[in-house]
Amino acid sequence: MTRLQDVASVLRSKNAGAFVLTIDIIFKDKTTYASVVDGGLLTADSVAAAYHVDPSNVLITPYPEVQSLKVTMPRRTGSGDLADSDVYGAQQHVPLMLLELPDTTVV
Amino acid sequence: MIAYLHAAPTLLSHCEDDIIVNQENYTTLPSRPLRILAATACIGYGFTEVALHRALSTGIDFIGADAGSMDPGPFYLGSGKPYVSPEAIERDLRLLLKAARQHDIPLIIGSGGGSGGDPHLALTREIIERIIREEKLRAKLAIIRSEPPRELIAKRLEENRIHDLWPGLAITRQTIMDSERIVAMMGAEPLQQALKMGANVILAGRCSDSAIYAAIPTMLGYDPALAWHLGKTIECGATIATPKTGQDCVIGTLAADHFTVEPGHPEKACTVTKVAAHTMYENPSPYEFVEPSGLISTKSCTYEAIDSRTVKVAGTTLEKAPVYTVKLEGAALAGWRAVMFAGVRDPVLIANIKSFTQKIQERTRDDVAALGIDASSYTLTIRRYGLDAVLGESEPCADQVPHEIGLMLDVVASTEKLADVVLAKARYIAMHTEFDGRLCTAGNLAMPFSPSDIPVGPAYQFSVWHAMELDDPLEVFPIEMVELGGEEITQ
Repeated sequence: MTRLQDVASVLRSKNAGAFVLTIDIIFKDKTTYASVVDGGLLTADSVAAAYHVDPSNVLITPYPEVQSLKVTMPRRTGSGDLADSDVYGAQQHVPLMLLELPDTTVV
Repeated sequence: MIAYLHAAPTLLSHCEDDIIVNQENYTTLPSRPLRILAATACIGYGFTEVALHRALSTGIDFIGADAGSMDPGPFYLGSGKPYVSPEAIERDLRLLLKAARQHDIPLIIGSGGGSGGDPHLALTREIIERIIREEKLRAKLAIIRSEPPRELIAKRLEENRIHDLWPGLAITRQTIMDSERIVAMMGAEPLQQALKMGANVILAGRCSDSAIYAAIPTMLGYDPALAWHLGKTIECGATIATPKTGQDCVIGTLAADHFTVEPGHPEKACTVTKVAAHTMYENPSPYEFVEPSGLISTKSCTYEAIDSRTVKVAGTTLEKAPVYTVKLEGAALAGWRAVMFAGVRDPVLIANIKSFTQKIQERTRDDVAALGIDASSYTLTIRRYGLDAVLGESEPCADQVPHEIGLMLDVVASTEKLADVVLAKARYIAMHTEFDGRLCTAGNLAMPFSPSDIPVGPAYQFSVWHAMELDDPLEVFPIEMVELGGEEITQ
């Protein structure tokens, strides 16, 4: 079983403005990056399920320059709203970190 | 490496060709690259004096420093307070003002005081004036305000000239009028106007981070795409350098067809990965970012290490915006907050924690209603640290049973007094509510200190997060000029 945390050298989340959350996954090597991207192993549906958001609101952008994927979605609440739990959005990467990749991943 | 990199500052100041930004007009494209110092990611976060002085000794044309962000949340915008201490602001500004004035180069400070509102500017201005006085400096200070009149914003809304930013936030005339404070994020033009008016120190209100660094180069005729991209790359200071030990200075060098970045500190290095990765930092897309002037794209960029600590970037493009817009950020009072934090260690209670928190909610509602307080006048949020407080329903490990939970009772009510009243009830209820299999009949919570209840003060929420069209890039950014160490020159 491979989780995203096993293949990433950076996996971070942060606000991109007060209403958007953005997560950067920088892969340890180009081979794993390519297998995840080319194999379509990380999808809007799998991210949406992990974060309880509408898949149509999940944007996944490959960034080969630094063998990374950027995942962007609306925040659950605005930053600092009464029900918010993470004003900077700095600990919202964990559901993605623990996400299991399908078995075909080359590690 | 660029030949003049190690030229002594005295040489630079005696050579006419090397003075770029002190010329009377800003219309001639200079014959050599422009050297820009980004002091820190945020005034008050600090930088090393080693890096500052080393950078200055290599020849610097102007110093920029961002001083703000909305990342710390809506409180600072709403309340008018800074999110770093005035002491830390003063330390950073003292070093930068002395450096800028002694080398006679412009200093541009963006998003003064953290949020760039009027009280934030007043606080920062007072610090600047004190430093100038104490250090016996002279400066032509421009203060650029950034709180547009409410009627103007409301009118733009009526004219459909206010636009949603994804994912969208409802806005009405009422929202605009009820907000505690609304700032507009300026582009490069107000900074350029202040420079044309003779400023050598600019204290700008809410300001695009990249504009701090793009204003002078675009005025001088450098490629705007590269200037904005350089600004974006260095606005977070030494975030693009390794090792990342605290904040520090970064030097950007802008040539006709590329730019380079290097750390100010001799023991740090900029790497291709760090520099290329920075366009995706806190930005929804790795390939583009929006500025008032247009969309900057890094899709065709090349990144190259030219030595062990310097990265060269080329190929940025800019698509001019069809309509000039600025981002509006507003915060409204949400109520008054009071909180209590306590530990739960009893394993039976932990096993029952979900139904237990539900019971606290229900009993608090009933007991507070018995005081004649309407449920619509407050909210009680129960945060279960150690279980699911951080990720909520997205917590993948919510089924694992922890041995300890930190329970926070978080009340926000319509008045300060009401928040205290509701929290006192909720605290008593949490301490003494029954649950299945309860053995600890003397109390459910370990209070770490007394008093247990903490009044936090006013709570705000972001109420406006939109793009507003302007008739002119200067329209909502009035500039006041003051001569410090001399007499006031214009109003």
